[in-house]
Amino acid sequence: MSEQPPKQVTPAPFSPEDMARRRRRSVALALVLGGLVIFFFVVTLVKTGPAILNRPL
Amino acid sequence: MSAAFETRSDALTASTGEARDFFALLKPRVMSLVVVTALTGMITAPGSVHPVLGLAALLAIAVGAGASGCLNMWYDADIDALMSRTAKRPIPSGRVLPSEALAFGLTLSVGSVLVLGLVANALSAAMLAFTIFFYAVVYSMWLKRWTPQNIVIGGAAGAFPPMIGEAVVTGDFGWHSLVLFAIIFLWTPPHFWALALVKSGDYARAGIPMMPNVAGPQATRRQIVLYSLLMAPVAVLPALMGFGGLIYLAVSVSTGLVMIGLSIQVWLRTEGPAATKACWSLFGFSIVYLFLLFAVLIAENAFGLMWALPKVLG
Repeated sequence: MSEQPPKQVTPAPFSPEDMARRRRRSVALALVLGGLVIFFFVVTLVKTGPAILNRPL
Repeated sequence: MSAAFETRSDALTASTGEARDFFALLKPRVMSLVVVTALTGMITAPGSVHPVLGLAALLAIAVGAGASGCLNMWYDADIDALMSRTAKRPIPSGRVLPSEALAFGLTLSVGSVLVLGLVANALSAAMLAFTIFFYAVVYSMWLKRWTPQNIVIGGAAGAFPPMIGEAVVTGDFGWHSLVLFAIIFLWTPPHFWALALVKSGDYARAGIPMMPNVAGPQATRRQIVLYSLLMAPVAVLPALMGFGGLIYLAVSVSTGLVMIGLSIQVWLRTEGPAATKACWSLFGFSIVYLFLLFAVLIAENAFGLMWALPKVLG
């Protein structure tokens, strides 16, 4: 007896409202990531102080 | 829960939660209290820190506290769904998937501890990690469903932030933050039990052994008065130890007396709408009380408003 092939589950598509919600979430995530970049940059400047420019070229 | 979500949820494991749902997972109101108390710990600490690094440390502490709130909501989603106060939270209402909340909470926990370690020092980072562990594991997973002393012991998690704040500045713990710890620790039972008295039906339905459900409402009312009587004098200690001034003395004594008065009202009014009103009054005022105490300490220490008493203690 041959085995049945696994049943294919097709996910239902997102509605336009769902897509809009996901898009807003992605924008918020991008803003947070951008904020983190600035955060680490500023903290690094403060932690290192003027010595950040004092490095061998 | 939207119909679209219900029909799709089995086939596709992706939620449509928005940024504000994820923000709600961080318990923003608790986070704001943590910011105020941790800032107080930093400002009253003997020492100073660069303002940018102080702000960065404060942000890390706030995010760490939020992460522990998120892990708490992930673990408690089953009982949150049964209680009117919590049924609309992002996970029980279906806006955020449990797996998403878990990933979000763990990521923020690790991230906030690492950032605090880099920005400040290892002790404050270790303390933040312990606080997250204490709230998410010791309180949420163990104490909450096991003992009526859950919020008494678990209250320590909410009381740690001033100690973390002091550790950020000095790399150590001192008497100042220990007193601030004691104030929050003793404040937690009257604050929470006032709510638990009103919501005891909710807690019974969810099977949580809160004090009113286990020891009874009258025993809880007595303990509320006892804790308030203990808390109010401890809240005056900053003025006697020299890191709270005359304004703090006046505010802590007067509002402490109000807290005791409202607790006695809760004790005396045991039936009907008057009892419920007394509980809500105590619950509402307790939040104002704690914010006020810490806000005055910040104002006095940061903005030169300190007219100190002769140092009596510490």
